[in-house]
Amino acid sequence: MAHDEHAIPRVPTHQEVASDIMARFQNVNQRYWRLVWLLALLFAGGIVGFIIRLSDGFDDRSNWGYYTATLSFLASTFLAMPIISAGLRLAKTNWRRPLTRLTENMAITGVLIWLMLIPSLIALPETEGRLDIWFDFPHWMAFRGGNLMVWGTVVLLGLFLLWLLALPDLAAVRDHMPRSPRGRFARALSLGWTGNVRQWRLLHSGALLFGAFYLMLYPTLQTLLQADFQAGLLPGMKDAIAPATALINALQGAVGMTLVVMYVMRRFGGYERYFGIDQFWALSKPLLAFSLLWFYFWWGSFITFWYGRQPGETELIRFMVLDSYRYPLMISFVLNFIGPLVALIWNPVRRSIWGPTIVGAGVLVGALVNHIRWYVAPFSVPDPPAGEPWPHVLPELPAGQLPGVADVLIVVGGISGALLLFTLVNKIIPVVSMWEVGEGLRLTKVRRFLARYAMVIAKSH
Amino acid sequence: MYHRRILTEAQINQQLLGTVLTTPLWWIVLVSLLGIVVAGAVGAVGWLFNQGLGVTGLRQPVFWGFFITNFIFWVGISHAGVMISAILRLSQAEWRRPMVRAAETMTVFALMASLTMPLVHAGRPWRIFYWVFPYDWARGIWPDVRSPLVWDPIAITTYLTSSMLFVYTALIPDLAIIRDRSTGWRRSVYGVLSLGWHGNPRQWKIQGFAGILLSALILPVFVSVHSIVSWDFSVSLVPSWHVTIFAPYFVIGAVHSGVSAVVTLMIIMRKLYKLENFIWEEHIDALARLLMVVAMAWMFLFWLDLVFALWLKEEQEITVWQLRMFEPPWSWLFFLFFMFSFVIPVPLWLFRRVRRSFTWMLWTSLLVNFGMFLERFLIIVPALMRKGPQTFTYATYRPSPVEFTIIFGTVALVCFLLLIFSKFFPLIPLWEEKEGQLLIDEVKVGNVYVPALVKEH
Repeated sequence: MAHDEHAIPRVPTHQEVASDIMARFQNVNQRYWRLVWLLALLFAGGIVGFIIRLSDGFDDRSNWGYYTATLSFLASTFLAMPIISAGLRLAKTNWRRPLTRLTENMAITGVLIWLMLIPSLIALPETEGRLDIWFDFPHWMAFRGGNLMVWGTVVLLGLFLLWLLALPDLAAVRDHMPRSPRGRFARALSLGWTGNVRQWRLLHSGALLFGAFYLMLYPTLQTLLQADFQAGLLPGMKDAIAPATALINALQGAVGMTLVVMYVMRRFGGYERYFGIDQFWALSKPLLAFSLLWFYFWWGSFITFWYGRQPGETELIRFMVLDSYRYPLMISFVLNFIGPLVALIWNPVRRSIWGPTIVGAGVLVGALVNHIRWYVAPFSVPDPPAGEPWPHVLPELPAGQLPGVADVLIVVGGISGALLLFTLVNKIIPVVSMWEVGEGLRLTKVRRFLARYAMVIAKSH
Repeated sequence: MYHRRILTEAQINQQLLGTVLTTPLWWIVLVSLLGIVVAGAVGAVGWLFNQGLGVTGLRQPVFWGFFITNFIFWVGISHAGVMISAILRLSQAEWRRPMVRAAETMTVFALMASLTMPLVHAGRPWRIFYWVFPYDWARGIWPDVRSPLVWDPIAITTYLTSSMLFVYTALIPDLAIIRDRSTGWRRSVYGVLSLGWHGNPRQWKIQGFAGILLSALILPVFVSVHSIVSWDFSVSLVPSWHVTIFAPYFVIGAVHSGVSAVVTLMIIMRKLYKLENFIWEEHIDALARLLMVVAMAWMFLFWLDLVFALWLKEEQEITVWQLRMFEPPWSWLFFLFFMFSFVIPVPLWLFRRVRRSFTWMLWTSLLVNFGMFLERFLIIVPALMRKGPQTFTYATYRPSPVEFTIIFGTVALVCFLLLIFSKFFPLIPLWEEKEGQLLIDEVKVGNVYVPALVKEH
C-alpha cells in the first residue's frame, strides 16, 4: 500500500479497501468507453494491415517480418507479465500485492497472441535442408505442431492462473452485483467459491505450483521463438545465448509495461493508493538489473562472434550489428541499457513515480525496435535456390527493411488489440486483487520503532 | 520465518567472540592437520617446479587439466561471497545476517587459492615475468590486451581487492568490540585496525553507506570475473568452447557451487563453533530455496549449451559431446556430474524436511560441489583430447598423484585460512546480529503470533 512518508502510517481495514476497489470496478465511465473505442479502431486497422499482407500470400517471407516482430514483442512483453506475479509470490514480497492482478490480467492477451502465431508459422519455410531445433523429428508435428502446443500451453496456463487467483474476487463481484451481466458472468466463473479453508488451501498451493510451472515453461517458448523464427533463418547463426537474451529482454519489457500500466491506472483510473511509491521503487530495481543483464547478454554473444572471426560470424555481425540493422540496435542500446542505467542508478529517480515510468516506456520502445531487428532481419534473408541446402554463411547482405503502411498498421493494431483485451478484462475481473491486498493488511501493523513509526510486516508461510 | 530468539547484546558478544578470545583444543588439532596437508601440497609444487610439468598428466594435446579445472572451481566458489552478501544486502533479505561474513571471507581465500593455480600450471612460474616485463605490445600475440588471458589476472585481482575491502569495511565495528575486550599488544593491533571506531551516528552512517556502495560496485566485478574466465574458452575456436552462452553459464554455475559451499561452511561452522543460536533451520532453508532457483537457471543454460552445440550438426562439435556423454570414462564422470549437481540435490530440496535438515543439506551441498568440479573438468579435457583433422598426436589425460596432492592442498589451504581468520575475527558479524534483533517482531494474526519484520516507514 502506498503511504505518505512523513505521516504516521495508518493501515486501512480490509472492508475499506474492498469497498473502494469494488466501487472503481463497478464504475464504467465515458473515458473508459472512449479508450475502448480508440483501441478497437486501431485494432481494426491492424486487421486491415493483416488482410493486405494475407492478400500478398506467404511466398515472399519478408512481408511477414514486421508481423512476426509484433507477435514476438507481444509474446515477450505481455505474456511475460504473469511471471512477475508468479515470481514475486514465490519470493513472498509484500509490496507485490496491489500489482499482481494487473500482471495476471495481461494473460488474456495470450488468446490474440496464439491466433497471431498461426500465420507466422505458415510463413516459415519447411525445416528440410536448414538448421532447426527439432533435428530429425517428423517436421510438421514438431515444427508447427510443437510451436502451437508449447505456446498454447503457456497461454492456457496463464489464463488458468488468472482464473484461479481471481476466484475470491469473482465471488465478491457475484455477491455485490447479482443482477448485472458482469455479476452473472462472475457467478459462472467463481464456481461456488465460499472461501472455506479447503478452498483457500487449494488456491494458495495452485498459485505456487502453476506459477512455478509457468516460470519454467516460458523460457521454452522463448527458445522456440529464437530458434525457429530467427536463428533457423540466419545462415551461420549459432547463438546459444539468444533464448536467454530474449528471456531477459522479455522480463525487462514486462517490468516496463507493468510500470507504465500502473502509472496509467494511477493517473486515469484513480488507483493512487494501490500503485504507490513502494511499487514503483521496488520494480525499478529489477528494471535496472534487467537493463544491465540486457547489455551483458548482448555483449556475451557479440564478443564471442567478434573473436571467432569465422565467415558466418563476420557476416552476421555486419548484418545485425554494424551495417543493415545498426540503427535499430543503437536505438535499443540507448533505450534498453544506457537510459535505464543513467537514470535508475540514482535513488531519487528510482524512488519516484515518474522516473521508473519514463524509463519503462523507453524500455518498451527499445524492446519493440529490438524485436524488429531480431525478426525482420532473418525474414528478409531469401531462401536458397530450390534443391540446394541452406548455406552456413550469408550469401549476400540484405539491406535493412523499412516498414510499409501495412506493417505500421499491423504493429500498432497488434499492440492495441492486446491492450483492448486487457482493458476489457479489467471490467470483468478487478484490476487490483481485493483478497491479496486484504491479506497483506492483516499481516501489517504499525508500531513505534525507536523515535519513529514503522510498519511491521508479518512473514506468513 | 524468523522465530524470535531474543539475545542480549552481551550474550551475542560472548557467544560470537568465544574462539577469538580463547583457543579451543580442536582448533589447534584441526589447524595442525590442515597445515600438514598444505605443507604436503607445497612440497608437491616444489617437486613440480624442480622436475617440470612432466610429473603431471598433461600431455599433447591436453595441456589444460586439473590445475585449470581447480582454478575455475575456486573462482566459482568465490562467487558465494558477493551473491550472499552484496545481492542479499541490496535486496534487504533479513536472513543474510549470520552468513555474510563467512561467505565474504570464503570469497577472499578461494580467490587466493585460485590465483595459485595458473602459477603452478605454468610449471616455471618465474617465466611469467618474461611475458609481463617489458610488456611487449608489438608482438601481436601474448601478452596482448586483447587476450582474455590478460584480462583474467586484472579481473581477479580487482575482485580480490574489492572483496578484501568489503570484508574489512564490515569488520570495523566488530574490531572495535574486540579492541575493547583485549589487552596488551592485541588491544593495540585491534585499535589500529578499528580506525578509532566509537559507533557514533556519523560513523554508522558512513559505514552503512560504504556497505551499500561497495555492494553495488562489486556486483559488476563479480559478474565480469567468471565471464572473463569463460572467455578464455569461448573466444577460441576449440569445438564445444566457442559458444556464446559460456559467460552466463559459467557465472550461474559459479553461483550454484559458491552458494552450496556457503551451505557446507555454515553447517560445519555451526557445529564447530556451537552457533545454534545464530544459524537456524530457517537460514539453511532460505539458502536451499535460493539454490533451487539458481540450479534451475543453470540447468536452462546447460540445456541451451547442449542444444545449440548440436544445432550446426558439425562433426567436431558432436564428437566432443559424444566423448563427454557416451564414451567411458568420460561418460561415467558425466553421469556423476549430472546426478550430483542437479538430479539428486534439486528434487531433494523440494522437500521442506530436507531443506531444514543440517545433515541432508551438508551432504547435498557437498555433492553439488563435487559435481561442479567434474563439470569444469568435462568442459576442459574432452574438448582438448578429441582427434581433429590436423591432430596427429592425441591422447587421454590422467591426473598424476602430484596434481591430486596440489588440488587437495588448495582445499586444505582455504579451510586452514578460514580457521586462522576465525581465531582473530568473528565469523558472524556481531553488529549485523544486533541490528537483526532490533528488527525482529511479532504480529498477532487471528489467534496466532506470526514472526514479523520491522519495515522502516
